[in-house]
Amino acid sequence: MMAIRELKVCLLGDTGVGKSSIVCRFVQDHFDHNISPTIGASFMTKTVPCGNELHKFLIWDTAGQERFHSLAPMYYRGSAAAVIVYDITKQDSFHTLKKWVKELKEHGPENIVMAIAGNKCDLSDLREVPMKDAKEYAESIGAIVVETSAKNAINIEELFQGISRQIPPLDSHENGNNGAIKLGKQTTQTTRRCC
Amino acid sequence: MEDRFIIGSAKERAVSSPQRDLGNAQLNPSREEPRKKLCGYLNKLGVKGPIKAWKSRWFFYDENKCHLLYCRTAQDVNPLGSIDLSSAGFDCKVDADEGVFEIRTPSRVFILKAFSKQAMMYWLQQLQMKRWAFCNTQTGLPVDSVTAAALPANESLLNETIHTEGEGFLPPVKTPTDVVGLKAASLPAPQLSDALQNISLKHPWTEIQNTIYNICGTRQHPGNGRSISGAECPGTFSSLPFVACIPAWHREIIVQQPCQLLKETGFSGPAATSFRAGAVLPVVVCCDDHSMSPQELVKLLHKALEAAQQEKRASSMYLTAAEDRDRLELVRHKVRQIVELSSRVEALETDKQELEQSVALRDRRVEELQEHVQLLMDKNQAKQQVILKLTEQIAQDLSEPVQEADAVAADTLYKQQEEIEHLKDDLDAYRTQNQFLNSEIHQVTKLWRSVAEKEKVLLMKCARLQARSCQVESKYLMMLRRLQEASPDLARGEAELVKSLIQEALQWDAKEEAVEALQLNPVREYDDYGFMTIPKYEAEDWKLLAKIQALEIKSNNLLSHTAVEKPLGERWAGMAELSPSAELKGLIRCGIPVEHRQRVWKWIVTRRLSHHHAANHYESLLRQCERTEHPASRQIELDLPRTLTNNRHFTSPTSQLVPKLRRVLLAFSWQNPAIGYCQGLNRLAAIALLVLEEEESAFWCLVHIVENLMPADYYSNTLIASQVDQRVFKDFLSEKLPRLTAHFEQHRIDVSLITFNWFLVAFVDSLVSDILLRVWDAFLYEGTKVIFRYALAIFKYNEEEILQIHDSLEVYQYLRFFTHMIGDGRKLMSIAFNDMNPFPMKVLQNRRATHREELEAELSELERIKAQYVKEQAEQVAWHLDGAVSEEEEEM
Ligand SMILES: Nc1nc2c(ncn2[C@@H]2O[C@H](COP(=O)(O)OP(=O)(O)OP(=O)(O)O)[C@@H](O)[C@H]2O)c(=O)[nH]1
Ligand SMILES: [Mg+2]
Repeated sequence: MMAIRELKVCLLGDTGVGKSSIVCRFVQDHFDHNISPTIGASFMTKTVPCGNELHKFLIWDTAGQERFHSLAPMYYRGSAAAVIVYDITKQDSFHTLKKWVKELKEHGPENIVMAIAGNKCDLSDLREVPMKDAKEYAESIGAIVVETSAKNAINIEELFQGISRQIPPLDSHENGNNGAIKLGKQTTQTTRRCC
Repeated sequence: MEDRFIIGSAKERAVSSPQRDLGNAQLNPSREEPRKKLCGYLNKLGVKGPIKAWKSRWFFYDENKCHLLYCRTAQDVNPLGSIDLSSAGFDCKVDADEGVFEIRTPSRVFILKAFSKQAMMYWLQQLQMKRWAFCNTQTGLPVDSVTAAALPANESLLNETIHTEGEGFLPPVKTPTDVVGLKAASLPAPQLSDALQNISLKHPWTEIQNTIYNICGTRQHPGNGRSISGAECPGTFSSLPFVACIPAWHREIIVQQPCQLLKETGFSGPAATSFRAGAVLPVVVCCDDHSMSPQELVKLLHKALEAAQQEKRASSMYLTAAEDRDRLELVRHKVRQIVELSSRVEALETDKQELEQSVALRDRRVEELQEHVQLLMDKNQAKQQVILKLTEQIAQDLSEPVQEADAVAADTLYKQQEEIEHLKDDLDAYRTQNQFLNSEIHQVTKLWRSVAEKEKVLLMKCARLQARSCQVESKYLMMLRRLQEASPDLARGEAELVKSLIQEALQWDAKEEAVEALQLNPVREYDDYGFMTIPKYEAEDWKLLAKIQALEIKSNNLLSHTAVEKPLGERWAGMAELSPSAELKGLIRCGIPVEHRQRVWKWIVTRRLSHHHAANHYESLLRQCERTEHPASRQIELDLPRTLTNNRHFTSPTSQLVPKLRRVLLAFSWQNPAIGYCQGLNRLAAIALLVLEEEESAFWCLVHIVENLMPADYYSNTLIASQVDQRVFKDFLSEKLPRLTAHFEQHRIDVSLITFNWFLVAFVDSLVSDILLRVWDAFLYEGTKVIFRYALAIFKYNEEEILQIHDSLEVYQYLRFFTHMIGDGRKLMSIAFNDMNPFPMKVLQNRRATHREELEAELSELERIKAQYVKEQAEQVAWHLDGAVSEEEEEM
């Protein structure tokens, strides 16, 4: 039998960028145009195979509005990965994304895997954030980056597969995600990317 | 109808005079059945037949079925038809002819005519009584004691006895003994112009059967017929159908000489029968019969003599025949003769039968003709009377030619008098009709009420059964869900089985709906406020949950609707003026009925806001919105289409409420710039709009919640008060539910991840709509304590189930859904307000204060660390800029 690993993942990003929609697409393969704004956070799980392990994602989808930021530590505390979402049709949301990355680096768990999702790529006519900007930025912080569409189910699976691959296998990393909040200087974990 | 009066006189004589004679001489009044039987002759208007005409019918009431049956005469065996009284209404119309009344059944209207107004009233009253008596005996419903006890008022209603009948609307009508009751059966069917008319064209077969029965019955068993004729009519002739047709003058003779009549009419009793038998022995019997004429006797004796002589001749021949052979021949000859004779006898027998039949037909014909003759004679008599009258009048006119001058005045006077008479008649008629209709309305209302009560009892029972079945079904589905979750651990075959069972269960509803033609308690798609009653989950594995949820809610609704909500509604209805009191608080906690909710909410809100409730405040805020765009408006716009997505008033593209919601939220962002807009306020405002409808009221409701009920800073920038409340809540949880808290600690569950938004939006989108609104009723009236109470109650409600789960992930999974699964609002309410006591406000306030201090200290510490970090970073950058190689570059 395959080993099951539980991975806590949180979704961060500006309000209305489609965090909940991405989770909904990933977990239920369903898209709802009028999905309610998230208050506080919501929780879902999904299990996917990865190599010889089963990864059970415990997904915390957070609220995007600025004033809910103060709650975010509750959710990213102990996370193995964070998906930071922006809306390719909104420059503002890319700006908010950068703030989130900064916060994670300051207060987030060590070794947290960061994945950047440029959502609503189905609306490329309205694009405000060039793909190049996101790529460059992701590279600079050592994060995965994909453009997704929750609506058209583009790159959603891939996003989480990417995260799965980034998670170090069990044996080599036994006490990695212990939930400690890193308050000190950031170390250079990001360079250990394998792909 | 013109000849009704003409017949009248003849009929009267026919009916009254012999009746008196018979009544004294032959009817024994003490032999009347203990319960008066309702029967008698009425005329019935043929409706469906080719000819619309009155037909005389013998009506009698069948107690067992509550049917009024009718046949042509009282002696007929097979009724021509029946009227179901149990579901019938009765009516009489003023403008109809005298004695005409109606029986209306759901399928048909019977128009009947009694022979007088009194008789009609008698019939109507009797019919009402019969209907009432029947409906009251039908109470033997399979209603169990619980339900019956729940409806004490109903019981007393059902037990109202029959003697309350009438209630003074209609004085009891005296029985018109000459036209109704069993005695009437012995009387002739009242006459109509043509007796043939009475024959039912619709029921030819029944008619023939009845006729034959009557004829046979009178011939063979005189005085031993059916109970009606037998018990009440000694004398053969009264049961003879044709007697009715015999003119009255003839009848006088009949009464005097019954025996003679019997012979005259050919219905001779035993004498004739024995005569036809033709055997020797009966001759003696014949001789005994004193009614035989001597000639006939002589003839008979002659015949007998002849036969004897012939026989003697034959036997002497036999004796004289010498040889055996001859004798044999003789015997053979005799045998042949016997055979021949017996075949002849047979032939004669059939001949006889045919003849009998033709005699029967003739009899009928004679009958009809007699009727006809009677009719003609009646007419003739009437005409003669008219002629007589006219002659008299002419004579009078001729004798008084002088008075012609006065004639005109007298004429008008006479006319007026006549008119007055008419009016009086009309008045009288209307009065009786009114009386009758009053009693009819009264009774029908009573009947309707008792039936409605019965129906309610049944519906209640049905609801309870349905609820039970829902509960069982939901338990089953719950089991399936458990199995489904465990399916990775199951053997392949078992997993398959579970899967197929789930598929099957999900399809139940569709099937049931198709089969059940009548849905007693249909689950509506949307509730009173437009919330979807059954959540629509697209994902397969959630469908089961949705189903379970819907079933739970349905069963609880079914139960609470029948049992509790009605008395509460009555108490609310009695509360016209609202004023704060312990009683009101209690009532509000139980949930305000839908029809009172708006009024009460409005009262609560205005009461608390009266000091700054300026008349045009809202208007001026709206104007400000138009002038300048609030920074929050972008966020508001983003959230508008995402508000209450399970409510049809908000999701429909033509929604009236979305623009209202926009204005309310924008106005609020100016009303309270410190908050502006916080996600979640949209839900609060949306609920307020749904209930209060008016946008200004909704706005004030929102203000009431944010500024009066919630502590300061609940929705402002850092949501600090909300975070404080989470800590306070954890304290209460550990105090009120220590086992559960230990369980959560053991599995490292942070409940505030789940409960945070309960508090922020007061359970909107977490609880099922009708429980939600109940919570809000109390919340608006009492404040945030209600939210704490309910939050604790929600955990308590599900405590045992949560304790069963020993995997942190599964606990979270469960907590995500469990608020939606709560269906029993009353149970939850009772936990919140009883089990969670005591809950002093002081404790809440103290805890809020201490936690707030702590949290603020923590936050400032965090700020300090942040600032330090930023400073360090800056220093690092400065150091990098100084030319040092970055760590990344080093590793590359
Ligand atoms: N065209 C398009 N629209 C999307 C897509 N993903 C989400 N949306 C829409 O964007 C809106 C916001 O989506 P949400 O998933 O609620 O966004 P969120 O990030 O969870 O928002 P908050 O809960 O307020 O933080 C919804 O109306 C979605 O229908 C996408 O891939 N394409
Ligand atoms: Mg969301």
